[in-house]
Amino acid sequence: MVIKKSQRDFDKIGRQSTLEMVNTTLTIQDILPYGSTKSNHKKVDMDAVLPFIILPLLLVLSTTSKLVTIIVMIFIGMGALYVQSRPRQKNRSPFFYSWTLSSGIYMFLIFELGILRLLEITQLENFVFLLLLTSTCYFFYKMKAVADFELATGTSKGKEYSPVLTSDSYYCQICQIEVNERFFHSIWWDCCVLRPNYIYFVAGQVFAFATLLYGTNLGLTTVCQPFILYGTILMPEDCNDVYYEFDLALCFVSCIYGLGYLLITALVLLRQVLIYIPKYSEPQWRKIINVLTV
Amino acid sequence: MRHYVFKKKVLYCGIFVITLIILLHPDRNARGTYEFIAKKNILNNLLQETALNFSSTAISDCDYYKVIYDDTTLPISIIEEDLVEGHRIKEGGEYAPFDCRPKFSTAIVVPYREKAEQLRGFLVYMHMFLRRQHIHYRIYVVEQVDSRPFNRAKLMNIGAVAAMQAGYPCLVLHDVDLLPLKPANLYACTKLPRHMSSSINKFRFVLPYLNLFGGAISIASKQFKEVNGMSNVYFGWKGEDDDLYSRLETHNLKLTRFEPATSRYYMSSHQKQEIEKKRNNLFYHTKESMVTDGLNSLKYIEVATVLHPLFTHIMVDL
Repeated sequence: MVIKKSQRDFDKIGRQSTLEMVNTTLTIQDILPYGSTKSNHKKVDMDAVLPFIILPLLLVLSTTSKLVTIIVMIFIGMGALYVQSRPRQKNRSPFFYSWTLSSGIYMFLIFELGILRLLEITQLENFVFLLLLTSTCYFFYKMKAVADFELATGTSKGKEYSPVLTSDSYYCQICQIEVNERFFHSIWWDCCVLRPNYIYFVAGQVFAFATLLYGTNLGLTTVCQPFILYGTILMPEDCNDVYYEFDLALCFVSCIYGLGYLLITALVLLRQVLIYIPKYSEPQWRKIINVLTV
Repeated sequence: MRHYVFKKKVLYCGIFVITLIILLHPDRNARGTYEFIAKKNILNNLLQETALNFSSTAISDCDYYKVIYDDTTLPISIIEEDLVEGHRIKEGGEYAPFDCRPKFSTAIVVPYREKAEQLRGFLVYMHMFLRRQHIHYRIYVVEQVDSRPFNRAKLMNIGAVAAMQAGYPCLVLHDVDLLPLKPANLYACTKLPRHMSSSINKFRFVLPYLNLFGGAISIASKQFKEVNGMSNVYFGWKGEDDDLYSRLETHNLKLTRFEPATSRYYMSSHQKQEIEKKRNNLFYHTKESMVTDGLNSLKYIEVATVLHPLFTHIMVDL
């Protein structure tokens, strides 16, 4: 009996270890976000791929001349405005999230492969840039992850949850969850910004702002003639000769595109500051004042 | 399952770190700072020698301490101005201070072609700049008159030969589109060859790579002869300064620089794309070619040599 039992235990352990071994071997399918097994029966969404084709085409097109650059940038800006102002229907197209991703990836690649090749960025500057970029990615990743988690199990309930909405909340058609008034659905990140991930959203925007500001400054001072603003801070001065060469023009145009993004992040942050912070910090202020008056 | 997640994390971290190492590799990045001669050591490192047939009637020696510790930055707008009256620059662009005896004689060799307006600005600026330094100098402009691609290095060789014949112990090989901003950047030779333009505005005031030896350099005539000058085969703008560097390297001549703040230059043209292309050209340099290609194989047709008020103009057909 005793021997049998130990034998059985031994078998168990053996089976467990083999199971573990199977589990711990990594395959390519596990590493790729969309495994080949998935894409076999589910065709890759065209909407998600399009930005990765359209954006480089637009950027290459705008390298032809100053006028074309201006037209293309205005065109992109108008498109973004139109999309933003459209009534928010039940639209879960991954196109916009893909657009954000492709913008980030292309700008990163052009910085690291195009601008760095001119050998005018020092190691320290490159390191600071990468650090800022990593932080940005981390915060936005966290924002997405928290939103996904909330969607699956969080406190914000799904459709079956109370049909009666409180005064300061509305129902997000896209995420199919109830969101507070303060929070919203972002098509550019393809997720809802809720109370749990709001802080990640703001932090991501702040770091995105810093990364874009730093990156475009480095890029523009590299491709253009810079001047010393103060101390070691340089600013671009004369960008007239960038269109003579294709790679310089591409770097320049991407920097201009980055400046557009910088403007948008600035507006988003400004909105957060103007609308939300006074409203929600008011009670705290009152607390402090109460403490002082007592 | 936890093991699996852990492995995945390790893998991602590994990829991240490797990417970081690749992107931050020193060869892919420029240098904000480098080894240089500290200000207090500059005077000891200078090569004190004047031209062979130069004599000064002044009694006292010039003092260079003030020049080296001069903190001013010259405005670029000088290039649009005219020279001050009574500048006392001799025919051929030669000048020596009158109130003191200079310790240094320098020949400034400028290869040139076709950009007359730029040359005018350069000459006015350089004379205004160099007057402040109390040195004896002469500007040689070597112009390529044929229609072949520009051969900067060969023109430099021609100018250097002319300057050495005139007895100058120190050569400054200078591009016409570079303007020194700091009068503290003394146009005299150090004991080792010196890269003067290590902080150019167009390159964001950084040094693109450590062995860069182009733009504006100073080298003693003896050393220039010793390394057999520059190569004569580089038609078009590429790699001739890397070639010169490898020549110095084989003769065990290290390069020196002054601190970045002193070595500031202003560049005024469209030649910034050269840098990355040059690095692919290193395979040209061979030890054999150094012996046979250079000053001793210099062949050209001298069209004319004219002494202008501000410079010596050597016109050549390569």
